Amino acid sequence: MCKNVSEYLAKLKKELGQSVDRALIQDALSDAETHLRNALDEELSKNPDASEAMLLSPLIEKYGTPNEVASAYRTMEPHISPAPARISRPGKRSLLGKFFGVLTESGAWGAFVYLVFAFIPAVIFGGWALFAGLVSASMLVFIIGLPFFGGYLLSLRGIALLEGRIIEALLGVRMPQRPQFFQKSPGWWGKFKALVKDPYSWKALVYFVLLFPLGFIYSAFFSLLFALSLSFALSPVLELVFRIPLDLAGDNVFTPLWLLPFVCLGGLLLLPLTFHLAKLFGRLHGRFAKSMLVRK
Amino acid sequence: MDQENEINKKFQKELNAGTASLVLLSILSRADEPLYGYRIAKLMDSEDEGAPMMKQGALYPVLRSLHSSGLLESYVDPSVSGPPRRYYKITDAGLETLKTWAQIWDQTKTFVDRALKGRHHV
Repeated sequence: MCKNVSEYLAKLKKELGQSVDRALIQDALSDAETHLRNALDEELSKNPDASEAMLLSPLIEKYGTPNEVASAYRTMEPHISPAPARISRPGKRSLLGKFFGVLTESGAWGAFVYLVFAFIPAVIFGGWALFAGLVSASMLVFIIGLPFFGGYLLSLRGIALLEGRIIEALLGVRMPQRPQFFQKSPGWWGKFKALVKDPYSWKALVYFVLLFPLGFIYSAFFSLLFALSLSFALSPVLELVFRIPLDLAGDNVFTPLWLLPFVCLGGLLLLPLTFHLAKLFGRLHGRFAKSMLVRK
Repeated sequence: MDQENEINKKFQKELNAGTASLVLLSILSRADEPLYGYRIAKLMDSEDEGAPMMKQGALYPVLRSLHSSGLLESYVDPSVSGPPRRYYKITDAGLETLKTWAQIWDQTKTFVDRALKGRHHV
């Protein structure tokens, strides 16, 4: 018997346990909260004098006990795993196959695309976190700045969800598909206090501030590696057929003929190496994002 | 008695796992407008004259699975009174899949009916 929605959510969280993905927990809690609050609002409009506990009991009976609902989510979770993780399951391969096979893995391509274009979320999300944060924080000296700062912290939750969707699609890390709510606090002051006290508001802020430089570093590093590996691999064609020198030092000198096969081989090795690195960085960044943006 | 209940519950759960997707696609294919989770659950309840076949809480992961398979599309609409609602609409791929699944369901139903009737003649 639960006296209110918050109590039901706490029991559901406990039933889901520590063993399931924390993104799944956020989704399950978000679904339950949306459903039960919608149902409760409807029932309250019909019976305005009834207590929440009295109305909630039949609603939970229909929605399912925390145990039943947790079991349903656990059963369906394998069907909702992130796309690249589902497709990219390399079988048993030789060492050489593993090294070059990375170029055929959708997960590696996803990570590579995320890292090369990381400057875009860095500019939009990181820029917003930094500059809107500075503006709204400076407005805090006036009492009118409070709602602006609250709105800013709330906006970070929205972009955290968006960043999570991008990370799940490209890095294959399970991220929440539903927003996190906070308990129905009375009035905007209660909501503001809940937002400020929530460590995840600050963790999201730190994540997006760090994303600002990180995104540029990722983009520059992986674009450089990709450009180098392609130009090295294609150097015989570029230099001998099209007469375009590699020109790394900017002195317009062609590579000696005896060195060209080695440069080409270097490029052919550097390309899969870039994708292995992209997979590694993608995995690490995914873990970092999950620890900062998803509630435990 | 408890063990019998557990077995029945397990059987019901296994049946629901497959049929929930079909029922949800069917409800959304007949809807004139996109529906959100709670509304879908209410429609399912209204179609179910006896005891509900499945708990409403079990609908949401199924909806998400159908969405991630491209059979449903969705958007979020902020609600004035409560949390934002996610509305679902069936896609063209969903309508095609529903046709195929309905045929598979007909075949399965016929097969099970025959097996159950045949039971008395063994």
